[in-house]
Amino acid sequence: MLRFAVRRAAMLVAALLVSSFVIFGSLDLAPGDPLSTLSGGRTLPPEAVAQLRAQYHLDDPFLSRYVHWISGVLHGDLGTSIAYRESVSAVISARAGVTLDLVLFAALLIVVFGVGLGILSGLRKGWVDTSILTVTTVFAAVPSFVAAIALLSVFSVNLGWFPALGAGEGFTDSIKHLTLPAIALALSAMAIVVRVTRTTVRSEMGREHVQTAISRGIPYPQVVRRHVLRNASIPVTTVVGITITSLIALSAVVERAFSLDGLGAALVQAALSKDFAVVQGIALVFVAAFVVTNALVDLLYAFLDPRVALGSRAS
Amino acid sequence: MKRVHLTGAAAMAVVALAAAGCGKAAPGDATGANGAAKPAAAPSATLSPTTPAATSDVPKATWALYREVGTLDPIQAFDYPENTVVTALCDSLTRQNPDGTLSPGLAEKSEHPDDTTLVLTVRQGVKFWDGKPLTAADVVYSLKRAADPKAGGFYPSVFSRVKSITATGADEVTVKLKQPDYWLDGELSQMAGVVYEKAFAESKGRKFGTPEGGLMCTGPYKVGGWKAGSELSVVRNDNYWDPATKAKVGEIDFKGVPDESSITTGFVTGAIDGSYPQALGTIDQLRSNPKLTVTDGPSFASDAIVVSSLKGALGDVRVRQALSMAIDRKAYIDTLYHGDAQLPRTLANPGTWGYAKDVFQADWDKLPDPTVDVAKGKQLVTDAGATGKTITLGMTSEVSTINSSATAIRSAGESIGLKVKFKAVSAQNFINFFTDPKAREGVDAFPTVNYPDYADPAAFYTTVAAPDGSQNYDGFTDPQINQALDAARTTADPAARAKLVVQAGDRIADQLPWIPMAAPSSVLITRKGLTGAPSSFVYMGGPWANLLGGA
Repeated sequence: MLRFAVRRAAMLVAALLVSSFVIFGSLDLAPGDPLSTLSGGRTLPPEAVAQLRAQYHLDDPFLSRYVHWISGVLHGDLGTSIAYRESVSAVISARAGVTLDLVLFAALLIVVFGVGLGILSGLRKGWVDTSILTVTTVFAAVPSFVAAIALLSVFSVNLGWFPALGAGEGFTDSIKHLTLPAIALALSAMAIVVRVTRTTVRSEMGREHVQTAISRGIPYPQVVRRHVLRNASIPVTTVVGITITSLIALSAVVERAFSLDGLGAALVQAALSKDFAVVQGIALVFVAAFVVTNALVDLLYAFLDPRVALGSRAS
Repeated sequence: MKRVHLTGAAAMAVVALAAAGCGKAAPGDATGANGAAKPAAAPSATLSPTTPAATSDVPKATWALYREVGTLDPIQAFDYPENTVVTALCDSLTRQNPDGTLSPGLAEKSEHPDDTTLVLTVRQGVKFWDGKPLTAADVVYSLKRAADPKAGGFYPSVFSRVKSITATGADEVTVKLKQPDYWLDGELSQMAGVVYEKAFAESKGRKFGTPEGGLMCTGPYKVGGWKAGSELSVVRNDNYWDPATKAKVGEIDFKGVPDESSITTGFVTGAIDGSYPQALGTIDQLRSNPKLTVTDGPSFASDAIVVSSLKGALGDVRVRQALSMAIDRKAYIDTLYHGDAQLPRTLANPGTWGYAKDVFQADWDKLPDPTVDVAKGKQLVTDAGATGKTITLGMTSEVSTINSSATAIRSAGESIGLKVKFKAVSAQNFINFFTDPKAREGVDAFPTVNYPDYADPAAFYTTVAAPDGSQNYDGFTDPQINQALDAARTTADPAARAKLVVQAGDRIADQLPWIPMAAPSSVLITRKGLTGAPSSFVYMGGPWANLLGGA
């Protein structure tokens, strides 16, 4: 367990270092000026521009800026946002909650409905299976921004069941505000999980030991629980893990469509306006979340199947 | 009905994608909803700057901005979101009224005992949100900070003729000038003249105006809650010094809604109560919504083509004039503004006539509407020996307003025998044409929507045509314009000053350092039941939020 944790921590640090350098570099190569956000399309007075460039070290060479930034990070200082004139940690902490809620909500939908419907579809041949298959084929092809627009126009604009903007305050209000965004975010991933689960369950059902168990008269629910679901759980966990980590990045699109003040929306905005410190800070959070989620999935493997040694699938 | 809405939503999505990212363009959008064409707009001079006065209190309203507020530091407010909020929170020494005129603000009186002295009498009985009284020291501190280039603000140039700012009495501040400067009165009506508490600002240092540091002003609203890069809520200041204009809405939440389809959905579902939108392609859809009121008012903004290089073909005034007379502005206004703009007879929008309106009106009446005359244009280009020469336009095809403008210029240029080339960049990078000389290399011109900070055409002209103008990119200079603008700046009498500004304006309209495209209207959207907010451009420099309330 200790070795696993140490290895994962080392992986995390390496991933963060590499990604921060790559992001910093690509942002530096991309055209544009961080100060343009401040101008709103008019010309800024040159003295003010010079002052701001000095304040944010914009004229320093690339490497010296990167070193300056990374040594700040090592001292717990993520830097200052140019657009928000606020420390990046404040920007992140103000927005992380919304993204976390949204991703967790969507993950819950994926696990409950994705896996649930997949099992149902795998076990019940006939019209249940066919209709689930048809619906998920459509959903799998719907990108989240299209889902967002469709959901908004049906459930917010026309029916008025759900609010169109913002994240809400308090538990019930937040649930109400985040339902549509979470569905938009989860929809296509959910459809994929349904299909993978269905196929896995189907193939487990067809295996010899399952058929033998059934023919020997072992109660059906027990066969399903012990032999089918248990064996199906590893591939299903893998695909659920991958889809959930991908939600972190996808959240940007949905947050923008529903005007949620989350990390994803902030990342897009910051990348467009070349607000280096914010892009770096949020990217670090995302990479860390990605690595941690993967570690959790690996932990789950070992828990689900004792034959899998802890961390053996990590490489 | 539902199907109709769905197609509407799809159209919204397309527009949103087309205009994504750039909030700065022209109000109006060619690819907008295919709503009914509006009748020709009334000239902006006759547009009403106000809406029916509010009569009742409203507990709360949500106001949409095109992005979240970045800072509340008045000297760093330079764009729509910050200006819109700072004008709700703070007072300036002079107050901008909805019609662009000025009246006393935190300075009860501002007098010029001689041409190089401005004496401000600080209003008594005004308290900051924390209850401390406004003093001359606060005024001196705020002005000096705005004037100090090291403070990181955008307004030091406003104070270029100021020699000293001193408190000369308990309630008196004296500004000594190196040369006469009657533009300073107008400049002190906007961000450069906002007064905040000295002790508070000093104690916050660099954090002043950030979510952490906060703000201490005297305005009709005070900061409620604000987290970095997130919704900002302001609450009514119950101790506001001017009972006549005390706020009627208890709390306003300012929300950044960058996405065009989101703002449209927000209005339709009632999640947003009001906004002064910029580039909103779905405006016709909102106009026809019975739950909303869309009001057009006079604007300070001008839609124009910046001539950024005088080294190419556009260096010859005859080519600029030829290009200008080849542009089909009527068609441009119809497609882009759905009629909500008028033909520009001068570079400055009639909405900027903040004083001596009759002088400006007389000049406007005298000038002809620009008409299309391709034959004459061709002749001018031939005379200039420019036939077949290439002009390069900086543009972005991702923002349809800029795209339309560039396309209009291209067809105009080609019709008179010029070659027109586009230098296309991404929507985000379009702004670099304004800020980065390297981006402007090899570019002859690019489209813009631009505006002065208060209602005076001179405030705009000077940035464009004066030799040291901040938006004069290639040393355009014209003795007649310089002389008229210099004289205007030193002339005390408003009518006499307006006459000089008009002279400069006429000459600018002839010499075309920038080529005017349209004089757009300002747009205000409110939900039914909310009224009182000015429909003019005043929200960028003067009080507006306290006028909002229930119908």
